[in-house]
Amino acid sequence: MRRVAVIAFLALAFPAAAAAHATLRSTSPHFAKELQRGPAVVALHFDQEVKILPGAIRVLNSRGRDFAGPSRVQGTTVSASVRRLPTGSYTVRWQAISADSHVVSGVWTFGVRVPALPVTEAYGAEGPTNTEAVVRWLWFLGLALTIGSLGFRLICLRGLEVPLGLDRRIAVAAGLGCVVSLQAGIAAFSLRAEDALQLPFGRFLYGDLSPMAQTRFGEAFVTMTLGFALVLALVYLAWLLDRVVFFVPAFALSLVFVAGLSVSGHDAVDPGSSWKTEIADWVHLSGASLWIGGLATMAVLLWFQAPQLRRAAFANFSQLATVVIALVLAAGTYLGIVRLPHLRDLWMTGYGQVLIVKLALVSLALLWGAFHKFVVAPALQRGDAGFLSRIGRSLIGESIVGMAVLLVAAVLVDSKPPPRPVPSQPAQAASQR
Amino acid sequence: MLPKAEMVHWLFATGILLVGLCLLAEAIVGTEVWRMRPWRKYLWPGLAFTLGLLLWPVMAFFTNSAIHMYAHGSWAEVLMLAGGAELGLVHGRLKSRWWRLTWPLAFAVTGIAFIVHEQNPWFFARSAFLHHLLGWTFLIAAIVPLLLVWRPRSPALQSFFALSIVLVAVMLYCDRDVAPVFGHLSPLAGPPHR
Repeated sequence: MRRVAVIAFLALAFPAAAAAHATLRSTSPHFAKELQRGPAVVALHFDQEVKILPGAIRVLNSRGRDFAGPSRVQGTTVSASVRRLPTGSYTVRWQAISADSHVVSGVWTFGVRVPALPVTEAYGAEGPTNTEAVVRWLWFLGLALTIGSLGFRLICLRGLEVPLGLDRRIAVAAGLGCVVSLQAGIAAFSLRAEDALQLPFGRFLYGDLSPMAQTRFGEAFVTMTLGFALVLALVYLAWLLDRVVFFVPAFALSLVFVAGLSVSGHDAVDPGSSWKTEIADWVHLSGASLWIGGLATMAVLLWFQAPQLRRAAFANFSQLATVVIALVLAAGTYLGIVRLPHLRDLWMTGYGQVLIVKLALVSLALLWGAFHKFVVAPALQRGDAGFLSRIGRSLIGESIVGMAVLLVAAVLVDSKPPPRPVPSQPAQAASQR
Repeated sequence: MLPKAEMVHWLFATGILLVGLCLLAEAIVGTEVWRMRPWRKYLWPGLAFTLGLLLWPVMAFFTNSAIHMYAHGSWAEVLMLAGGAELGLVHGRLKSRWWRLTWPLAFAVTGIAFIVHEQNPWFFARSAFLHHLLGWTFLIAAIVPLLLVWRPRSPALQSFFALSIVLVAVMLYCDRDVAPVFGHLSPLAGPPHR
């Protein structure tokens, strides 16, 4: 223990021995730029002088052919001449040595007479990995907890005498959801950048993430981070001042900012996407969050903290869930049709097989929900108190199935949908007319 | 269009200076006098919480190295946590004095993040020197809020706490300067711009 303490102290006392990295200030051509003709030179401008090794700048086409000449350094600028580039998208991978001999690295893309590919699809980029699916799941859980707890309080407990303690616990749950969302967002952004950079962790820490921030996913990450930080502040004020009124803007903002995932995922960028698929994805995601998060809030917080509200809350949630599930199913069916052009894709492709698992879990959750709606709810209305004491664990069980659905949804998001069939020539001509 | 990094540092230096001056005023006149106006007790914890909230845009927009992003994110979180806990305590929502441990935690996390994310040695330039000094100031000064958990009304500890925050603010005002420090400026640092 003492040795660890001494090493930690020395590491902090002499960081100069372990750090002196240069930072990239600008590039030519710029990130994601579409050029009318290939650049004669690719240049990187740093904030301090750097040294280079052979191959410091590589300009790679989609097959990995390098078009860059020898790299040279002049002051704080590193450059390389570039041979004539045919039409296409190109990846620039660079590395430079800082004053302390540590390596700083980065990647960006540009296009010649075509739009540049996103940096996540740069030559050499890999992923997504299983870790990304787990992080995405945590992100979904955080969003569901925030949206579900706030929605449950504002919709299902509206007009009821809610104990102060329950309101505070709901605020804590929503705040916890925000914190999880923020952390998972940072982790997801980092992992996506790591896929593109393909660097070991030590070098990744000094990797330049700004090209990643300019992708759709990066913009969604920035927007969602700011939005959910604001939601966290509002939820905190509601807890501090015992004012439920702050839940209203917090709920509205969380519904708006969750759209960040919808405008940066498959349903926004893949072939066949349109504003309709983006809206459908938003309805699907926010509806599922409200359903699963609201159910978990009722099962864990209300059922055991405020037993006097069980009957009314259960009846109200049952009505809300009916509407929300109808919307989730309608949006999900539409997106499934868009993503899977042929029915056989459902069992022939990896994406379709994951979707089958998700559908199976959704069916289980729906059956469980139907039992609650058609058996438990009428019994509660008749005044059968026995159900009130026994149904808590059943609600928790349904919530766990809902969380499993979110896990499979996270895997689905990181899977690649099957390619859409190319329209035949006459059909293309007709569509152009 | 992003503001220059030094402007962002000045903005936060000003915010932190206000927090430090409020704390100094409370230490000088005493907590009872300071809280004769009820709103005053919310002043510096509220400022700290708001500064934490404002650090999120800094984290999200300045992504030119992963480690800078993590450093800014960690400051946003610990400042919101410590400011929020202090607001809860002064408002009466939180009762346990252990919530005051969030301040030494915030100081320690901030200090470590300052030292680890600084990319250059002490005498590289004035900015690098101040980053190291800020880190060590936070780490050493963390002992003061730790002692305040047990002696929250001690004028000496309150004064040290306030002065350490004022000192941090003064250092933050010039920690983007590429300028000599004690006559040293690394030839790798580029031309001085302060």
